[in-house]
Amino acid sequence: MEIRNLYEKPISIAPLITFRVIFGAMMAFSAIRFMALGWIEDHFIRPKFHFKYFGFFWVEVLPDFYLYAIHILMIISALGVMLGAFYRLSAVLLFLTFTYTELLDLTYYLNHYYFVSIVCGLLIFLPANRCFSVDVLLKPQIYSEFVPAWTINILKFQLGIVYFYAGIAKINEDWLFHALPLKIWLPANDQLFLIGNLLKYEATAYFFSWTGMLYDCTIVFFLIYPKTRFLAYLAVIFFHVITGLMFQIGVFPLVMIGSTLIFFSEKWHWRWIDFLCRKINFSLLKDSKKQKNFVLKPIVLFFLGVHIIFQILFPFRHLFYDGNLFWTEEGYRFSWRVMLMEKAGTATFYVKDSKTGREGEVVNADFLNPHQEKQMAMQPDMILQFAHFLADHYAKKGIYKPEVRAEIYVTLNAKPSRLLVDPSIDLSKIEDTFEQKMWILK
Amino acid sequence: MKTTFFRLFLGFFIINAFFSCQKNNDAGKADFDRKAMLENFANNLIIPAYTDLQGKISVLQAATNQFTQNPDQNKLLVLQNAWEETYVAWQFANAYNFGVAAEEGLKNSLINEIGTFPVNETKINANIANNNTNLTDPNRDARGFLAAEYLIFDQKNNQNTILNNFSDAKRKSYLLALVNHLKSKTDEIILAWNGYKSSFVANAGTDVGSSTSQFYNEFVKSYESIKNYKVALPLGKSLGQTQALPNRVEAFYSGKSLKMINEHLTAIENIWYGKAKNGQEGIGFKKYLESVEGGNALILSTQSQFLAVKNAFAKIPQNVSLSQQITESPKNIENFYVELQKLNRFLKSDLSSLLGIAITYSSGDGD
Repeated sequence: MEIRNLYEKPISIAPLITFRVIFGAMMAFSAIRFMALGWIEDHFIRPKFHFKYFGFFWVEVLPDFYLYAIHILMIISALGVMLGAFYRLSAVLLFLTFTYTELLDLTYYLNHYYFVSIVCGLLIFLPANRCFSVDVLLKPQIYSEFVPAWTINILKFQLGIVYFYAGIAKINEDWLFHALPLKIWLPANDQLFLIGNLLKYEATAYFFSWTGMLYDCTIVFFLIYPKTRFLAYLAVIFFHVITGLMFQIGVFPLVMIGSTLIFFSEKWHWRWIDFLCRKINFSLLKDSKKQKNFVLKPIVLFFLGVHIIFQILFPFRHLFYDGNLFWTEEGYRFSWRVMLMEKAGTATFYVKDSKTGREGEVVNADFLNPHQEKQMAMQPDMILQFAHFLADHYAKKGIYKPEVRAEIYVTLNAKPSRLLVDPSIDLSKIEDTFEQKMWILK
Repeated sequence: MKTTFFRLFLGFFIINAFFSCQKNNDAGKADFDRKAMLENFANNLIIPAYTDLQGKISVLQAATNQFTQNPDQNKLLVLQNAWEETYVAWQFANAYNFGVAAEEGLKNSLINEIGTFPVNETKINANIANNNTNLTDPNRDARGFLAAEYLIFDQKNNQNTILNNFSDAKRKSYLLALVNHLKSKTDEIILAWNGYKSSFVANAGTDVGSSTSQFYNEFVKSYESIKNYKVALPLGKSLGQTQALPNRVEAFYSGKSLKMINEHLTAIENIWYGKAKNGQEGIGFKKYLESVEGGNALILSTQSQFLAVKNAFAKIPQNVSLSQQITESPKNIENFYVELQKLNRFLKSDLSSLLGIAITYSSGDGD
């Protein structure tokens, strides 16, 4: 097999259409759900302080009206992607609105939001509207039944990365040999329909740990290989339904169950597209003339290469830092480490007036909602941001050159809690960088 | 490949089936009956606490009636004692502000409705002057136990001042209204719990909105209210304070702050142990911890810290009021605060993490 085939070979557009329709529908659903749950209010409007992403400190929370407008726009553009209507514009808007919303507050970071953001970005460049779309009705000349192979393979690659990296992250002592954190999480779900009682057994936690690791590491290969594909997909459904029932993980199971359909054959995809066409009386143009090889512009190839290399290497950046990754979380995010550890902290901040020497305890809940407080209390970069915020806030309130220190006790995977950062250090003097954070206690 | 894959998942079902048949074998099983814990909380802690409170309020009501009909020194003493006993009973009932004691029933939580402190003297006096006994407005700092306390105690402990004040008929009717309001809210909550109990016990998961999660959240809040509002704030340890605020203590007018803190701490400890007020042992967070990974270590730390808190409290002289000690010699109170601070994490993140209790609604990271 020539390597060019992986990106230039003409292949059927069908899987890409399915992906576009399902992904667009899910995005619309998830944005509607987000609004309906009142999360715009809870996540963005009510909190007095927002944690920023490194390098994105300039992203501001807009006034309420704009936040709602952006969500409506997100829903419209998601439907635009689904229908293939003004596709490029829709995809750009979907990417921008979704990514903006994610960048508003670091404490809501989820790996699957990162995944969705990447996919939205990729969709901008994929010719997913060239068939079975409103755009084709408007401009029939764009119709094509073939697309260059990279446009589908890049999505398979992205899914592969998610699963595979989630799998290798599970290869660690706690996960495999102590069944942690599943030993904590499973018994907490003993009220679950049918399987609840099983979850009380320690052996079940070990079994789930190993199966989960093997599943994540191998499922993509079983999905690629045609003979195992169907069973593998059943496993995908089974796995995500179970985790979806047990854990509070929102729409993520749906996203994965929907997205992995891209591994199915063109025949399978045409079957349901044709079925849908008959149902809604939509006629595809259908020209089956043989498509010659696509030739990719070097610039496209270049950016594709950069993206792929970045996706492969970036999750390994933690190797540059000393210490236990789960404890320091330096290089933890954007690396597909999902549901890997049970970690929680109690963070008490003290602010001192450097003139009077008077020190007072902060009530975190005065500034943060419970979710923000929970996330902040165990993640060093957020602790630092909050300390800086407190210093600024209380300087304005008249405290002279405030010194901020924090007593933070963190428990990781059911081990007794210990101090996360040096409680004597003035956190307001420390800047967050990519360098090793020496103020995190080992 | 296909067969390996198939075997893997077949294996899963076989193992599942195997365990299903082994239900009675307890080895390696985290067997904790959360329903039994909830039942214990409901039957032996929550409902008795409300019932006890209801009884004490009835006595308080009778004493109030007696007193307002014909105020004198003796009736005032009886009334003051009745208030003190009522407020002690409340320390055992103030941690359960969820379900029917929060949004589901009362528009505001029970503790906000009848347990707000500090009270606003200006508002209370204005209500009296205007003969406004309609206690349904948002001014919760003009009603509740501590508004009644303000009326029937004198901070300088001059009983004559109180008696003189009560020559005002409007003051009498306001006090009556306050006590009747306490009675009606307590009656309401007991009635509501009769209907709520079964769903409280049945909702036995650990997700947000489950009874365990709601109960746990309010338990922590109740504990933190001791640390933050009953101790740290009057002591001047809250941020932004330039001085101590001794008049912000709970039960300021009666000077019973220390006694109430002690009772409240006992109530918190009882919840952790699952122990009823009458001493009857039951299932609580301690038993729950015994069944989970890392639980025994946390039990030891929590118990020794409970002890440290008690020892620190024991060093505080009980014959001088908390507000006076804060003004004059805060050292003992400061030590007490430090020990309370140390206990915080054992009741907060360490406990919820080991038990796997969800505390927020937001989605977690997907698998």
